[in-house]
Amino acid sequence: MKNYPIWKSFTVISLVLLGIIFAIPSIIYDENSENWFLKNKINLGLDLQGGSYLLLEVQLNILYKEELDNFADSVRLISRDQAAKIDQIVIKENDVIVTFADITKIKDIRDSFFQMYRGVSLQINNNKLNIKLNDEYKKIIQDSAIKQSLEIVRKRIDESGTKEPLIQRSGKKRILLQLPGVKDPERIKDLLGKTAKLTFHIVDDDNTSALNNNLAPFGKMIVLDIYDENIKYLLNKRAVVGGENLVDAKGSFDQTEGHAVSFRFDTEGAQKFGKVTTNNIGKRMAVVLDGVVITAPRISSAITGGSGIITGNFNAQEASDLAVLLRAGALPAPLEIVEERSVGAGLGADSIAAGQIAAIIGMVLVCIFMILIYGTFGALANVSLIVNLFIIISLLGTIGATLTLPGIAGIVLTIGMAVDANVLIFERIKEESLKETKVYQIVKNGFDRAMSTILDANITTLIAAVLLFAFGSGPIRGFSITLSLGVIASMFTALMLTNFLVYMYLSFANKKELKL
Amino acid sequence: MFGLNKIIPVEPNINFLGLRRNFLIFSILAILISIGLLSIKGLNLGIDFKGGTLIEVSTKNTSIGELREILSSSYSDVSLQEFGNENVILIRLQNKSNQESIETVNSVKNLIQDKVVEFRRSEFVGPTISSELLFRGFQAVSFALIAILIYIWLRFEWQFGFGAVVALTHDVLFTLGLLSILNVEFSLATIAAILTIAGYSINDTVVIFDRVRENLRKYKKLELVDLFNLSVNNTLSRTIMTSLTTLLALVSLFIFGGEVIRPFALTMIIGVIIGTYSSVFIAVPTLLIFKFRPQDEDD
Repeated sequence: MKNYPIWKSFTVISLVLLGIIFAIPSIIYDENSENWFLKNKINLGLDLQGGSYLLLEVQLNILYKEELDNFADSVRLISRDQAAKIDQIVIKENDVIVTFADITKIKDIRDSFFQMYRGVSLQINNNKLNIKLNDEYKKIIQDSAIKQSLEIVRKRIDESGTKEPLIQRSGKKRILLQLPGVKDPERIKDLLGKTAKLTFHIVDDDNTSALNNNLAPFGKMIVLDIYDENIKYLLNKRAVVGGENLVDAKGSFDQTEGHAVSFRFDTEGAQKFGKVTTNNIGKRMAVVLDGVVITAPRISSAITGGSGIITGNFNAQEASDLAVLLRAGALPAPLEIVEERSVGAGLGADSIAAGQIAAIIGMVLVCIFMILIYGTFGALANVSLIVNLFIIISLLGTIGATLTLPGIAGIVLTIGMAVDANVLIFERIKEESLKETKVYQIVKNGFDRAMSTILDANITTLIAAVLLFAFGSGPIRGFSITLSLGVIASMFTALMLTNFLVYMYLSFANKKELKL
Repeated sequence: MFGLNKIIPVEPNINFLGLRRNFLIFSILAILISIGLLSIKGLNLGIDFKGGTLIEVSTKNTSIGELREILSSSYSDVSLQEFGNENVILIRLQNKSNQESIETVNSVKNLIQDKVVEFRRSEFVGPTISSELLFRGFQAVSFALIAILIYIWLRFEWQFGFGAVVALTHDVLFTLGLLSILNVEFSLATIAAILTIAGYSINDTVVIFDRVRENLRKYKKLELVDLFNLSVNNTLSRTIMTSLTTLLALVSLFIFGGEVIRPFALTMIIGVIIGTYSSVFIAVPTLLIFKFRPQDEDD
């Protein structure tokens, strides 16, 4: 073999072998294999294996609004302590504007307020105090809300028994969920659709005029009944105790009350609950879940044991779901589903089968065509093309990329485009053969001259693929990955493997002249 | 050694540039019609960009008419379509809000439960997401065009970059126009197809430009028109070969790849044909605007 360095043959052969060996796990595809080698298989995307994709958005505006309400309440409390009179409080989109009767205490109030809420912008304008929910403060709220939501979502999904869920933050205020194997995400959506904010409040049954006028005095709030919108309760705004003090909750059955949720408080919750029930015997205690009253039983005796039951018109499933929600804890804000894609296992399997057929037929057609046009050289290019496919598969498997339906399309497309580099080389060889007579010189020139064209042409395709990856989402990224890997693999197979094969062929067939 | 490659002569001598006026007029007309179609008829936006709900079901003992009847009594904006075969039906609904859609999916499922063998997939894209996806799609395509322009500009002279981008814009608009006429659904996968077409078309153009540049150095005396013609002819068999192998793979994908991928395959097929055409008949003639040599000034 003339002019072909040993190290180069060695490199080409080893790379090809590696490509074939590492494609094996994906070709055998044993889903449950624990073998370290067989584990290096391609991950199938949700669109191929079946499953659900959900994108949830944390409703931050509700949190901002709540925080502004907190500002207003705190300013009222501080002013009352300092005996300053407030004329008016206006809550705007991002500001609370407090107008005082006089300006004597305004600076003290501002300072006390700042002690409570570090980071807010406070501005005094004559007798007005402007409290601004600035962007930095919003970001703190946002980050903690997302972090907390992620944790709660994770707990709830775990409780639902979903296998291998992927739960991650997406962008500023979204949570991305991938649930393989979940065909019908309705139950999951139900579980995530509730904030599950549970609080206990003392009912004020004395002030009937407030309810009649539908106007809650300071420190109170009006809440509707869950079953009957005409029933309203006037509650102390301050909760006795909340869901964060729960340590356990489970569905239970009570002879007289039917399905219920039994719960247990932690020590702090039990103490608070005990104290309040001791002091308020004869009054009613409302159980508020997500802004509506589920039940409001009268306190007949002090409850100091730290446990109790919540009754309502539950069925068994509802009681057990509520228990799941209470165990996992409350979401800081409601989650809204902004995107959902669910694929059944049947469609996924059909897609894989169709993709395989398309790839095989495409491959056969291209191979036949190459042999028809280039004869033996075409056959050599076909060997490169097949190795190219193995390399793509093994790269997908070893880097742990996810194969999607568009990804399969990318592979089929690559089959068509990968021969391009070979074609460029062969066409050059054809031209060179008109000028040169020495076989090896012709081949060498052909490869050398085609090189820069191949690089230029493939880099532009890579640019498109990389941008697609940067801006695309989910399945489309799968396409850009297979396309990029295909382009890279095809450069290697054309410039190195075809090159090697052509030299091999020429030296073994002992060709003295070359006609393409 | 045998081979059918003699069909394409090794040194073809076709006067492509001589026909440039005709093709230029054809392309300008095609672009104008495309722009007109895009602004009047628009694209058949799928739920990725329009938002809404899509449910694919496989059915038994029923017809699309029966399902339509069941659903249209509850929903005025429902549309049904057979998908691949008569037992697979695609149901589309337009929703106004995120919350509403969740309820819609459930109630649609309940209404047709007993006619359905399998709920093959359901997709919902909210209005905020769909507009974001559209924006990101535009971003991706524009950045790709700019990045490719910069690359060509770095590797060649800027005139080549100009020619390449004219051809690319031509391809993208022409393809979109055809998608509009054929009413092919425009989805995220179509954006992927358009970007790949951009990559493919530029690939084709680069190969020819590469030869133009080489010939500019080699034949200092040759008239520019002849030089361009020679370059196109030099690379002609490669241009045809690569387009054909790519088309073979794409046609296989179109026929056998399944219903979901079909619009993507069709878009790519259209794009590859247009991309190949534009490399020869648009990109190269565009270079004639520029005077690469002082002596060509009276050309």
